[in-house]
This record gives sequence, C-alpha cells and structure tokens, in this order.
Amino acid sequence: MSALLDIKNLHARIGDKEILRGVDLDVRRGEIHAVMGPNGAGKSTLNAVLTGRSDYEVTEGTALFDGKDLLAMSPEERSWAGLFLSFQYPVEIPGVSITAFMKAAVNERRKAAGLPEMKAGDFLKLLREKMALVKMKPEFAKREVNVGFSGGEKKRNEIFQMAMLSPTLSILDETDSGLDVDALKIVAEGVKSLQTPEKSVIIITHYSKLLEYIHPDVVHVLKEGRIVATGGDELIEAIETSGFDQF
Amino acid sequence: MGHGKYLDPIPAEKQVVTVGSGERLEFSYVILPGESRELDLVIDLVGEGAEVDVKCLYLSRNGDRVRIRILVHHRAPGCHSHQLVCGIAATGADVRFDGRIVVAPGAQQTEAYQENHNILLSEGARVETLPSLEIYADDVKCSHGATVGQLDADALFYMRSRGISEAEAKRLQMLSFLSPVIPAGREEEVTAALFSLPS
Repeated sequence: MSALLDIKNLHARIGDKEILRGVDLDVRRGEIHAVMGPNGAGKSTLNAVLTGRSDYEVTEGTALFDGKDLLAMSPEERSWAGLFLSFQYPVEIPGVSITAFMKAAVNERRKAAGLPEMKAGDFLKLLREKMALVKMKPEFAKREVNVGFSGGEKKRNEIFQMAMLSPTLSILDETDSGLDVDALKIVAEGVKSLQTPEKSVIIITHYSKLLEYIHPDVVHVLKEGRIVATGGDELIEAIETSGFDQF
Repeated sequence: MGHGKYLDPIPAEKQVVTVGSGERLEFSYVILPGESRELDLVIDLVGEGAEVDVKCLYLSRNGDRVRIRILVHHRAPGCHSHQLVCGIAATGADVRFDGRIVVAPGAQQTEAYQENHNILLSEGARVETLPSLEIYADDVKCSHGATVGQLDADALFYMRSRGISEAEAKRLQMLSFLSPVIPAGREEEVTAALFSLPS
C-alpha cells in the first residue's frame, strides 16, 4: 500500500538555526509510529512543520500527505485533508463552549467540502455519541474549551475532538518529559478505541512511558535533526537501558 | 493610596448618577464600528451598601474616535463597584479609556474593581488606557487592571488545527474576549459587527 505520509529529506529551521537536517519518514495506513528522541533532537520542530506552525521555515525536502503537498497547505486545510494534532498542552478558549467550538470545526470542514451545515439535531447526536465513546461526561459540552480543566480532562477533550473529526492521520505531541500517567492512559485508550486499518498515528515522545500503553508498529529515533534508527520494540528497550547516546 | 489631600472629585456642574443606600444600578454600553462617541459617566455612591456595575464594549475602526470616561466615587461605606471595559480596535481607530475610582475618607468596607482590556488588530490602531485609583480610607478592597494585547496566536493555531478557518477562528476569539461585556440579547448584533472590522 502507498504511504499515507511520505516525508523525504526534510530540512527546517527557526531563524538561522537549522533543526531538521534531512528527515525521511514513511507512514502507511493502519500503522502506529513512534518518533523518539532526546531533548533538542528536533521532535517539536517536526511536529510544528507537519501541522503548519508559521514560525518554522522549511528549506528543503518534501512531505506528501495522501499524495498531496502537505507543506503548501494552511493548518485548517491540513485538518480538512484528514490530519489531526493532539496538543500536549491544549489551549484554553474562554467564552467558547465545547459545543460551539466543535460546531465551528465540523461546519467549517463541511463548508470547505461544499456541503451545507450539519443539522442541529444531527450535530448534537454526533456530539453525544462521540462523548460517550471517549467516556467524556455530557456536561462538558457546555463548558468553555479547556478552561479550568485538569490535565486528564484536557487530554480527554483532545481525544474527543479526534473522535469528532475522525482524522486519517493523528499526531500525538507528547514531547515533554513531565508526563502525567493518568493523562497518558486516557490518550492511549482513546487512540486504541479509534484505531482502524485505514488510520495512522504518529506519537512524538521523549520517553517510552506512553508506548507501554500504545504499542507502536514502527519506532524511529530522531537525533540531531535526522532519523538515525528505525525498528521495533527492540529500539524501545535499547533506549530504556542505554538512552539515546548509543545512536 | 491617594496623593495628598482628598478633594471631592465631582465638579458641581457635572451630571451625576447617584446611588442610594441599598440600591443597585447596572449600566451597559455598546459602541459599534462607525460610531465616534464620548461617554462620560460619573457615579456617586452616596448611601451605605450602594452597588454599581458598569460594562462597556467597543468595536472601533478607521475614523472612529472613542472616549470613555468613568468616575466612580465611593462616598459611603460598604459600597461595591465593578467596571469592565473591553474592546477591539482596528487600523485607524482612536480609543481612550479614562477610568477613575475615588474612595472618600470614611468609606470603609468599600469593594471597587476596574478592568480595561483591549485588543489591537493592527499596529495602526491607537488605544490609550488611563486607570486610576485614589483611596482615602484604610479598610477597602480595590483593584484595577488594564491590558492592551493582540489576538492569541496559540489559540488561533489551535482552532485552525481543528479545521476552523483563520477568519472564523479570529471571530470566535474576538467573541470569546468580548463575551463578559456583551449584553444579553445583543450577541447577534455584536457578531455581525465583528465582520465589519478589518483584520
């Protein structure tokens, strides 16, 4: 099967500093990939470039998503094409309820596809169904997006949005080392319950903790801006015992 | 604390709203794009336990000159006042907020709050904020704060990454910012006015 995400020789910098120096990465449909690496390896930059943050500049290379030029798309176009980014630190949006937020997300996507807005009744049905699927309490629908949420509630809200948008590729940003185990379990359970043979996931992480709960098919080690090793479980074990210096 | 000697801050010729003992008054103002306005509100809390709540929203664009002057005078003890002024200024707007709280000697157990938050949509917008607080009593709770900022880039990116277009993400964020000062029943009018602000 052809790759869902096909990254070739990707170089990127912030200001004058080159951070990605030729990343190659192939993710096929149905696969779960982990990208691991020490601090400063380029994990955050890779994430930022794939999701379309404007502060990074791609200087060389390509990234095709489902055959289309990902790097030429705006963040919202990437979402419409089926990409989803789960934030490590989801942003608070005071004054906007989860319902209003998701309604905008769902209808903006439909508008882009030339479809009419979803009927209010159908939308609420979908909302309730997905909330139940990710075990989110129904009263959250009225809460302001992430305002006053605990770490675990924020994560559940990310997974809920993932369920609502049903992306073909999800990128989970867990780059920080200060990971909350309960929040990780929520993410892992959510990802597993949403996984299908058509969907792919990339987990970007520093530590192997999350990978105890979500089993990746392929593991990559990112170091100094390049993928320096690709393999399976044996890589996770090697990192656990001897760290990243061996690569 | 007040500087120097307390003087009655309200000039004799000024039109004044007085709030008596146990009374509560609410004021709500909406200033829309295309409106130049001088708002001059003087509130005298003259009776014990009087309360006042002032909310003001502005949306201003090129050619709009908005002056918001609010003076709240705590003359009697145990009075509460809240002022919240929030607005968005686009290129060419000229906005000034001049908010003053004066707590007279003897106006103990006063609670007085004043906040002014502004978003500039471009460098070509002008907002001046002059909050002031003069306190001549010693048992009071008072605070004031003013911010002048821009739309939150992280929140915009978050929304866009969920498929909300840039224009809609900005509009949602502006509504979110204004929500504490939008009077009930005027949500649609304010939402529509946001579309007439150039980003």
